[in-house]
Amino acid sequence: MKVLVAVKRVVDYNVKVRVKADGSDVDIANVKMSMNPFDEIAVEEAVRLKEAGKATEIVAVSMGVKQCEETLRTALAMGADRAILVETDAELQPLAVAKLLKEVVAKEQPQLVIVGKQAIDDDSNQTGQMLSALLGWAQGTFASKVDLADASVDVTREVDGGLETVKLKLPAVVTTDLRLNEPRYVKLPNIMAAKKKPLDKTTPADLGVDVTPRLKTLKVAEPAKRSAGVKVASAAELVAKLKNEAKVL
Amino acid sequence: MLEPRQIQQLHSLLETQRVATDVATLQSHGLDWTRYYTPAPAAVVFPKTTEEVAALVRWATQEKVALVPSGGRTGLSGGAVATQGEVVVSFDRMNAILDFNPVDRTVRCQAGVVTAQLQDFAADQGLYYPVDFASSGSSQIGGNIATNAGGIKVVRYGMTREWVAGLKVVTGTGEVLELNQGLAKNNTGYDFRHLFIGSEGTLGFIVEATMQLTRPPAPLSVMVLAVPALAGIMEVFNAFRQRLDLTAFEFFSEKALRHVLARGQVQRPFEGESDYYVLLEFECVNSTTEETALSLFEECMEAGWLVDGVLSQSEEQARALWRLREDISESITPYRPYKNDIAVRVSAVPPFVEALDAVLAREYPDFEVVWFGHIGDGNLHINVLKPDALALDGFREACERVNAEVFALVRRFGGSMSAEHGVGLLKRDYLDVTRSPEDIALMRGVKAVFDPLGIMNPGKLLA
Repeated sequence: MKVLVAVKRVVDYNVKVRVKADGSDVDIANVKMSMNPFDEIAVEEAVRLKEAGKATEIVAVSMGVKQCEETLRTALAMGADRAILVETDAELQPLAVAKLLKEVVAKEQPQLVIVGKQAIDDDSNQTGQMLSALLGWAQGTFASKVDLADASVDVTREVDGGLETVKLKLPAVVTTDLRLNEPRYVKLPNIMAAKKKPLDKTTPADLGVDVTPRLKTLKVAEPAKRSAGVKVASAAELVAKLKNEAKVL
Repeated sequence: MLEPRQIQQLHSLLETQRVATDVATLQSHGLDWTRYYTPAPAAVVFPKTTEEVAALVRWATQEKVALVPSGGRTGLSGGAVATQGEVVVSFDRMNAILDFNPVDRTVRCQAGVVTAQLQDFAADQGLYYPVDFASSGSSQIGGNIATNAGGIKVVRYGMTREWVAGLKVVTGTGEVLELNQGLAKNNTGYDFRHLFIGSEGTLGFIVEATMQLTRPPAPLSVMVLAVPALAGIMEVFNAFRQRLDLTAFEFFSEKALRHVLARGQVQRPFEGESDYYVLLEFECVNSTTEETALSLFEECMEAGWLVDGVLSQSEEQARALWRLREDISESITPYRPYKNDIAVRVSAVPPFVEALDAVLAREYPDFEVVWFGHIGDGNLHINVLKPDALALDGFREACERVNAEVFALVRRFGGSMSAEHGVGLLKRDYLDVTRSPEDIALMRGVKAVFDPLGIMNPGKLLA
């Protein structure tokens, strides 16, 4: 069974992002970029499926600037077999990404697509769901457990109030949650071997997809600074403040 | 013990609530991280200003009371331990950052500022304070300076000494001295600043420091490598530092790793065990840096020095890999480790390590010995763990017996018996391993000048 995973290049989770002076976006010049952590979990899950003999081939896909190649090389070093970069300098919004993925799926014909539930830069949480709708495939979102059979997949989902297990008919789209697995470290010999694995390039135009953004960012602003705490002299004063100032009682 | 009269005098120098005599505070602030001593201070005081510290010292000179400085209490040589009725001067309340100068790139702060607080402050200004170690979340700048703390970036940035641009100190007579005023160049005779760095509170107390900051490094990548034999470690070091700007080069043993993994917070870096591991960190200046690192790895593999390795793919992974090394000290603390912190010249590391390994195998056949350290600085941390069956006193005696052998070896190789942990109480009686009798006599002379009454951290460093 062929599995397709999508990986996004994002600002590293530990980087303290700064807003550009003109408020148009966050500043990513000279900032450490890494694979979206949820996508890392997606790649890890695919690799485990292959190690368990359930998947036969893993194709990693990324979209965006040339440097996304580095993200794909990481996926290859983790265990993906080959990679596809849809190269463009244009801003890509979730709908455009889903449409591009749909075209890649049409070419590759995977039985399972695994993507992160959201990317930590724009936090949209839309691509997986949009892709499933565009393809007309079943979707299992926020997966904390994936159990793959020949013609179906059982996905345990993290929902409010507990866990829900759904059975999806293949082909299907699965989006990963944090507790699905713990991604492995990338071994140096595998990084070197990954350099020899195939990485094909295409463009939105080749795939016949119009990626023009539908949404416009009006303004990007820093979160409000937390004001300093105050010391209260008594429990009564605390209660009064919670009632009158914080208005939480 | 202090007389009620003396407690009252302390109350008049400080607000009442900043003079503690309750058992909990005496226990907590009478100790550092060295677990061999029973705390027994007479009181713990929490000054807020230089004037209050100076007043405390003048009071101590009049009353002939010994003072012990206390910072983050993360010391490993008993330098901040009060065992005989001393008054502990805690710098916990002197934790203000006073001034920042973006042109000089210096920060003036009180002695009780926590290392991580200074690091974060520097980062907020787009700058970097490079001295770092596992205890940076607790240790204080004053203590770092008084012990000339080293840590994990020494191979690139040097010890705390390199970053002290100025000091304000209170001497053993209660005089306040301004040392070097943040100057880059100041050739005006004896530089007392450097005398106070590493003096362990025996000459006076550091109350303020002007710390130098620097440009932050490019994104850092971390490798953890499997090294089957001790002898391969320095070969790997030599190969990598020829072509990369290393910011850290650390090593640890499989035994050390197992203690970290046993806590269940981090995962093994790769399948398969190796007797030793190296963690190295380098600045990823541009895309060719990683290529260079990979080809170095390949060369070292071919030479047989390495058998496996991983490279961090994100900051998160880099941090997780660092925990394999940084959590060692904490994970073995329950075993009451006897810590040896020794150093030799980098070139002498391979023969020294071989000889030391033989001594330890012969002398500690029944004890678990955990090796790790900043091997790129020639610095080894040898931790002997206490077997459950052995009482603490008996264990310590056994360790001190073997010390004679270990230190004879250190002396033979011209090394240091305390590379970065300082001397304190724990290593005081071994000072002559590294310092000559003439040296030690002059040290006593210096102490007598700054602390004529011998009230500043007495019994530490010098008997």
